[in-house]
Amino acid sequence: MNVLHRLLLSLAAGLACMVSVEAAESRSWESSLVTLEVTLKEYDFFQPWTTPTRSIRKHGLVIGDREVLTTAQNLPTETLVRLQKGGRGKWYKAQVVWLDPHADLALVTSEDPTFWEGLKPAELAEVVPSVPDFNLVRWRDGNLESRRVEFSKFTVKDGTLSFAPRLTLEVNTELTGLGWAEPVALEGKVAGLTTSKLGSTCNVVPAPFIRRILEARRAGKYRGLGYFDFTWQPGENPTSLKFLKLDGTERGAIVIKVPQRPGVQSVLRPRDILLEVDGFPIDVEGDYVDPDYGHLLLENLSSRSKFAGETVPLKIWRDGAELTVNYTLPEAKYHDELVPREVFEHPPEYVVAGGLVFQQLEQPFLRGWGEDWRRRAPFRLQHYQNDQPTPERPSLVMLSSVLPDPANVGYQDVRLLIVDQINDRKVGTLEDVVAALKEPKDGVHRVQFMKGDTLQTILMDAASLEAATQRVLQRYSLPADKRLGPVATGKS
Amino acid sequence: MFSKALVVAVACLATLTLNAGSSERSVVQILTFSQAPIFDAPWRSESVRRAGGSGFVIKGRRIMTNAHVIAWAKQILVRRYQDPRPYQARVAYVGHDCDLAILEVEDPAFFDGIEPLDFGELPTVRSTVVTCGYPAGGEQISFTRGVVSRIEVQNYVHPGNRSLLAVQTDAAINPGNSGGPVLQEDKVVGVAFQGVPGLENAGFFIPPEVIHHFLNDVNDGKYDGFPQAGISLVPLQNPAYRRYLGLADEGVGARVDGLRAGSTAEKLLKKDDVLLEAGGLPVGSDGTVLYQDNRVSSSIIFQAPQSGESVKLKVWRDKQSVEIDLPVAFFEGDKLAGNQHDTPPRYFLHGGLVFTPLSADYLRTLGRERADASSSALYYELYYRRGEQPEKVRPEPVALATILAHPVNANLRVRGRALVDKINGVRIDRLEDVPRALEQNPSGPHVIEFFGQSGFECLDREASAAATAQILQTYGISSDRRL
Repeated sequence: MNVLHRLLLSLAAGLACMVSVEAAESRSWESSLVTLEVTLKEYDFFQPWTTPTRSIRKHGLVIGDREVLTTAQNLPTETLVRLQKGGRGKWYKAQVVWLDPHADLALVTSEDPTFWEGLKPAELAEVVPSVPDFNLVRWRDGNLESRRVEFSKFTVKDGTLSFAPRLTLEVNTELTGLGWAEPVALEGKVAGLTTSKLGSTCNVVPAPFIRRILEARRAGKYRGLGYFDFTWQPGENPTSLKFLKLDGTERGAIVIKVPQRPGVQSVLRPRDILLEVDGFPIDVEGDYVDPDYGHLLLENLSSRSKFAGETVPLKIWRDGAELTVNYTLPEAKYHDELVPREVFEHPPEYVVAGGLVFQQLEQPFLRGWGEDWRRRAPFRLQHYQNDQPTPERPSLVMLSSVLPDPANVGYQDVRLLIVDQINDRKVGTLEDVVAALKEPKDGVHRVQFMKGDTLQTILMDAASLEAATQRVLQRYSLPADKRLGPVATGKS
Repeated sequence: MFSKALVVAVACLATLTLNAGSSERSVVQILTFSQAPIFDAPWRSESVRRAGGSGFVIKGRRIMTNAHVIAWAKQILVRRYQDPRPYQARVAYVGHDCDLAILEVEDPAFFDGIEPLDFGELPTVRSTVVTCGYPAGGEQISFTRGVVSRIEVQNYVHPGNRSLLAVQTDAAINPGNSGGPVLQEDKVVGVAFQGVPGLENAGFFIPPEVIHHFLNDVNDGKYDGFPQAGISLVPLQNPAYRRYLGLADEGVGARVDGLRAGSTAEKLLKKDDVLLEAGGLPVGSDGTVLYQDNRVSSSIIFQAPQSGESVKLKVWRDKQSVEIDLPVAFFEGDKLAGNQHDTPPRYFLHGGLVFTPLSADYLRTLGRERADASSSALYYELYYRRGEQPEKVRPEPVALATILAHPVNANLRVRGRALVDKINGVRIDRLEDVPRALEQNPSGPHVIEFFGQSGFECLDREASAAATAQILQTYGISSDRRL
């Protein structure tokens, strides 16, 4: 055999080897990648008493003993979940056993033993290296599709369903229809699950983040995702650092806002300089150097190795001296915000009284203005998102609309006003509305709105209110005059 | 000429029944060369813009036109009917809130042979009117006949935040007719001023009531403006509310829902007072009055007196009728929330940081980006703070408009679009506070604190002072301030 022959043979063998490796890898995904069909309630916050549903399909990965991992999106309001293996064929009834919308992770199982036959767990990577390419795997028309996606960067950003920042892998691809928990893989291991796609950038929740949460959960130690509740600005301006009497080299990020939480004494003060967070030095851009992922925003240190309730040591500069304080990570809860970003624990709440529709101001309501809601939704309602809840007003109640009835003549066009008081009682929740409406004064209910240039007061006849409510329920086919969830405090 | 977003014009009529033989000679063409400022670079101006408008001769050898025709004018030329010569004109009086102006012509010969037009009464709905002027599409005078469609209080687009009586006509709309007279039986019954894009066959003119108010106002040599009552009057149509206040459901009486903080109305009126009559006219339960057979907002009653005069009110209070003389005055507190005219924006520049009063014109430079926390703070301050937290209102909130790049400010993270709270611990209530706060700092860096999420920034005191002259030179700015 001459050299050329030997070379050709070895090339052919190499190609065959590559093909067989890829084929084997594809086959292994076939036995761990499954399809979820989720039927969910997609509420119409403009008509909170209605409960429209729709169905979506997404991906899941078998990762352990009868456990399918997927993202949390679309699952919090599910009414039916089914699983399918092999990209086609029978659907198996399934149950959500755990989900955390803040982490955007969920575990699903099926009690049907036949579903698990032939399936085997995929392996989550411990570390995801910065390599040029990953493979994105998905079921498409009954066939397994494996496509190359380009690595872009590791970054820190808010979760798809959460205000809590976390490590995110960004990959670039022109593939469409992504963000449905398709696994991104490297060398046969799961590097992460897609969560969303904007333009050509696809966000991926990375495997190490998933692993840590799942392991803690199995050990009973997962207490939710933590986050830093303070606001900081980069220490890029040396004059500002000098003004704060910082010795030595320019470094650190400057705390500018510390929220006041009931019963919590914050260890930080505005104008503290964050020098180290969890042992990592912070540079003037507010970054630290992660041993695995390089320069990352300090926010990542709230979830890199800690969970809610755990303490993170902070080395700070205060009043011309270095100081170490222990910061306890608050749990990311939607109701920590005056205008909650999501409300999953119950259907939209409302109270209808004499045709006046009261609702809590929540971001899903604002998102009802469509994709461009940040521009199109009423400015004043949006601006409340910059305010903090207080014990007196943990949330905001609005008169969202009026269902016309003879009892509310003159108020038909009143809408989108935040309620301050009803019958001289401060209103912060819908429970307050219900309680206040039990105490009319001088034969009328007095609804007062927040001070401003808009309408301030309306009155409703107390004696005829209930009759008017019943009339409205019948005329507008409402199932009930109210739907209330658990009391606001303690909601997650 | 175009008003901001609206257009005024008149289309030609092939067969014109009006005897316009003398009227047309009193209608003049106005050519304006204007230059508006750039509000986020307040030392600069936009390119010179040429625009055409119309006007008409009134008594006293003067020309009446729209304020928006001559706003920001550098040069005003007027032309007589079928006379090719341009004449130099200047503004004698301007009422931006009512979009009216009076011009004088430098050469008195301009008025030779021109009879001033007389004013008539408010035309009735469905009556025919003719507008004349010099709209685009040709050089010669143009006439359009239309019907008075309706008479209502409308938003005047030129000031942006004022609503006065206006008459709607179905005249076709073309640019360039602004300021032209609307005639009925050879008398001026209005000044054409605006249209609504997207609304077909709808042009608007300023009625005699507003014109006379403007002319009477300037009689003393200065223009004060239309007064405002400071009352938030809302319909009182809910039966329960009427019963609670002891009023029969007769369709009379609107409710005082709010009173502007600091206004005279706040001292004389109370919430839940019911306005039964204003200026001798019964006030309907929807807040309107019947004025010359037109149901219009009762706000016209409060705008009828001159600033400083009073309006007689009959008010239902505590189930009794009381009479109140309510003095009304021009309100300047929301000036920055409207469109600015003729006075170049004030600014102060230090170390490349450009400070300017927060205004609607400045916010327009931000485009539609109002969602982020910094921009949100600016919008709230300008449009909502006064109503919601009057005790915290600053007379002239100051924005850091932009930063002119220089090594002294290169490390600042904030690059503009931020609302200034304090400088060196001094609360910034108006632009003059900025240089005062900077001058008061004897040592150490200047500390500038912002609203919202913008935090604070420090600026080296000596270096920023030294850099200012260099920055002015680099960016071709003649002065560090216009206060």
